[in-house]
Amino acid sequence: MDYEQSPDRVVGTAAVGSGGPPKKAPVPVKIIVAGGFGVGKTTTVGAISEISPLTTEAEMTSAAVGIDNPGLGSTKTTTTIAMDFGVLTIDQTLKLYIFGTPGQTRFAFMWDDLIKGALGALVVVDTNRIDDCYPAVDYFERAGLPFVVGVNTFNGQMSYSLDEVRWALAIREDVPVLAFDARFRGSVRDALLVVLDQALDKAVRQKSSYS
Amino acid sequence: MTYPDPDDPAHPARPSVRPFLQSGPLAAGGYRPAPQDEQPPAPEQSAALRPFVITSGRTNGADPDIGMETQVTVTPGAGPVRLSPEMRAIVGLCFEPVSVAEISARLRLHLGVTRILVGDLRAAGQLDVHVLDNETPDPETIMRVIRGLRAIT
Ligand SMILES: Nc1nc2c(ncn2[C@@H]2O[C@H](COP(=O)(O)OP(=O)(O)OP(=O)(O)O)[C@@H](O)[C@H]2O)c(=O)[nH]1
Ligand SMILES: [Mg+2]
Repeated sequence: MDYEQSPDRVVGTAAVGSGGPPKKAPVPVKIIVAGGFGVGKTTTVGAISEISPLTTEAEMTSAAVGIDNPGLGSTKTTTTIAMDFGVLTIDQTLKLYIFGTPGQTRFAFMWDDLIKGALGALVVVDTNRIDDCYPAVDYFERAGLPFVVGVNTFNGQMSYSLDEVRWALAIREDVPVLAFDARFRGSVRDALLVVLDQALDKAVRQKSSYS
Repeated sequence: MTYPDPDDPAHPARPSVRPFLQSGPLAAGGYRPAPQDEQPPAPEQSAALRPFVITSGRTNGADPDIGMETQVTVTPGAGPVRLSPEMRAIVGLCFEPVSVAEISARLRLHLGVTRILVGDLRAAGQLDVHVLDNETPDPETIMRVIRGLRAIT
């Protein structure tokens, strides 16, 4: 078509724009905050983030129970889920992203994308509905992602002790179970530091197994 | 295959409509009707050079290297090309390093759509996508995050 050649129709160039050359991009690292409905994921992300949490919509594919044929015609349902995230600038060259994601259903590829390259995860638990976090715990165990179980205390109230939560979840000894308050920055920071400890352990183990 | 031309006066682009709606059958309008079979495109197809189109129904097949936290910047000295309104908006956010998730949130674009469009803009030489060399962070990086986190109050 003729008009496509005319220069006045050329729009949207990336070469024009404000400011000089782009700054060097920082290295991003991420931690996942997962758990059932209403357990305090968004509160957790908001408490630690330097921006108020942003929301993005993503596809989550759940494979139908009992069907393990991944080929054409297998039953899969796709739902759009809202994921929120926050950012913490460590320094000019390093940024920590915290992604809060629902995990009450069976999930497939969206989560594989999500955890790729993640340092670890904090699984948030409300002791009134402990079983809501089973899918997330299952998933992280199978994926080999370091994770920590964080019981959101909701004003210091816990229907079960941490030992009882550990027993109910049947998780390995080396998975930390801790109590925290999703509303307080210091408390969320401490919980994330435990996640990072686990991540560091794994990274050190991996590194030494190569050398 | 033909693609909608964002500057075609007969079929004006609608930047206010989310592209996943725009690419669906309901919003197809005068555009090419959405394919009836929902076959995802082959992986090598999604990486192909398609700078002038919205995602045209593609919901699968984003480059797996493009994660949510992946940093994106404008390619210095990128040549002028015709871009869809969505792509123009994306480029407009990337004069500072920005993550794919932030692009998606700020433009209210579906994350999957954002990943595909960022991949297309990279293929078109408009955006630099800063893919990390090593997938899992090394101990030194984790130590820096720990020190940084300890320092906050
Ligand atoms: N008292 C108290 N309330 C809390 C605490 N954590 C979260 N809440 C409240 O519980 C409700 C749910 O918290 P959210 O952070 O939105 O939970 P969520 O996991 O993001 O919820 P969904 O995204 O809907 O699954 C909100 O009204 C919070 O204010 C807590 O530690 N104590
Ligand atoms: Mg939430």
